[in-house]
Amino acid sequence: MSDTSTQRQGRSLAGLIPSIDFSAPRHRAKFGYLLLAPAVLLMAGIIVYPILLSVNISLQDVRIARVGATGEPWTLKNYAWLFGSSEFWHAIWVTFKLVAVVGGLSVVIGFATAMLVNQKFRGRTAVRLFVALPWAVPEVVATVIWAWMLDSSFGVVNWSLLKLGFVAEPIQFASNPGAAFAAVCFVMIWKGYPLMSIMLLAGLQSIPEEQIQAAKVDGAGPWQRFFYITMPNMLPVVGVTLVMTTLWVFRDFAIIHVLTQGGPIGATTTLSILTFEQSFEFFRMGQGATVGVITMIFCAIISRALVGRMAKSVH
Amino acid sequence: MEKRSPLATFGLYAAAISACAILLFPIYWMIVTALQPATNLRSYPPQFWPAAPQWNVFGDILAKHPYAMWFMNSILIALATMIMSLAVSILAAYALSRFRLKGGTGLGLFILTSKMLPATLMIIPLFAIFKSVGLVGSLWSVVIAQATLIVPFCTWMLKGYFDTIPPELEQAALVDGCSPLGTIFRIVLPVAAPGLAATALYAFVVSWSDFLFGRTFLTTNDENWTLQMGIASLKGEFVTEWNVIMAGSLMASVPIIIVYLFLERFLVGGLAAGSEK
Repeated sequence: MSDTSTQRQGRSLAGLIPSIDFSAPRHRAKFGYLLLAPAVLLMAGIIVYPILLSVNISLQDVRIARVGATGEPWTLKNYAWLFGSSEFWHAIWVTFKLVAVVGGLSVVIGFATAMLVNQKFRGRTAVRLFVALPWAVPEVVATVIWAWMLDSSFGVVNWSLLKLGFVAEPIQFASNPGAAFAAVCFVMIWKGYPLMSIMLLAGLQSIPEEQIQAAKVDGAGPWQRFFYITMPNMLPVVGVTLVMTTLWVFRDFAIIHVLTQGGPIGATTTLSILTFEQSFEFFRMGQGATVGVITMIFCAIISRALVGRMAKSVH
Repeated sequence: MEKRSPLATFGLYAAAISACAILLFPIYWMIVTALQPATNLRSYPPQFWPAAPQWNVFGDILAKHPYAMWFMNSILIALATMIMSLAVSILAAYALSRFRLKGGTGLGLFILTSKMLPATLMIIPLFAIFKSVGLVGSLWSVVIAQATLIVPFCTWMLKGYFDTIPPELEQAALVDGCSPLGTIFRIVLPVAAPGLAATALYAFVVSWSDFLFGRTFLTTNDENWTLQMGIASLKGEFVTEWNVIMAGSLMASVPIIIVYLFLERFLVGGLAAGSEK
């Protein structure tokens, strides 16, 4: 015993911090705090301080925010502007519409994909790999591919719709508000379903095999097994994936900015796009920060459901 | 496992093949378009197979645009973000996983919540901060800004992996005279290698795909742009040369797709958290 302790002493003397022996039980906690320190300092500097700063900016009538300069006096002008502006209410409406369409459709596609690749067949590994591939394609790349496919004159989507007789003339995805909204949905669903199907697949695989076998023995058909065993088991996972998709749609910027820039006439301006537009295109950072703070509050409320669930796994 | 009827087997393969075909068509279309001569793209019907592939489009884009610079910037930013975030996250995740620290739970919750912050809000104060320290226009501004999203998630992911490793291994190493920091690097990290790879992949993919931070902090000089900004700017040009844009997009997605193909099983395994049989 005395051998190992002198050896330990020697090691720690040669180590990073010579004065304290962190392997001794009474110093273990100190070592833990030391390991946490870089992360805590980093997050204080680049997350906590900026959040406080943005609330501060949202309470000032400023065009370009600065640090260190004597701030403008606090005022609720920006919030008054926000709740009185039709743009803001419209952006909320667009955001919720987008959440409903993208969330709803990608859960359906993701679920179908997960059910498919959960079957046992040859080449399943390759299929799993391929159907999740859009996750790795950068958002801007996904957006320009779809912009080209949805081109009103030479796009392949309009060509096939015309060929199949679904439409009489090409759809103007760039200038028609409804079509532009649909275009954003296409890109978001294509980019968003892979993660959903990966998570749903994990959920499917965690359903106890015995339950399914027992149902089979009792004579339950495939549909009954789906509705009485698969669905109840999957509801929590579906809930988590829906919350994650909602948060993603709320915060996403690149897809909409590159595809439509929030247009035409604000048809695709979500809260994120409005925040950016106010701050970095009209240079009204006070107003932009106000929209952002409201978006953050929305995200916090939505994520409560998720955090509550995940918090159980903190221990 | 019961036997499937031939019809069911056929249906399954048909479904699997058509799902792949539909879901992967946009990627196929990017490749085909990149290789078409520009004149073919303005003709009806669209050509689904490049009869005479034009390979010089890749040379053209390098000659006409600072594409090589954009590529270099993207690589530098992604690597720096990955290394920096992992270094910080490994230590924090290990501490959260192994020590019962005062405020540890609170910190864990904070980490979870900050993953959900809207980045469009964060860029306003970050812009003000970077402006005051002269970082606007520097690649470091993007690296630091990305840490706001990546560090919390990496910490969370790594904590999950560390939790699955039995602490007895480290205790044995400590008894044998290994230093506490040494146990992390010599014992824990090698065992957690798959999880580490998945986390690194996640950090790299997120960083490589960034558009917002680059668009906000690097706008001044097009030599400072990242690939994503460059591609977006090509789309905004007056005459849209789709074959050039698709060639640029293809080159921007190839590195990430290769990384993905190699590391996918670790990532999916990580998200599925050991439910693979």
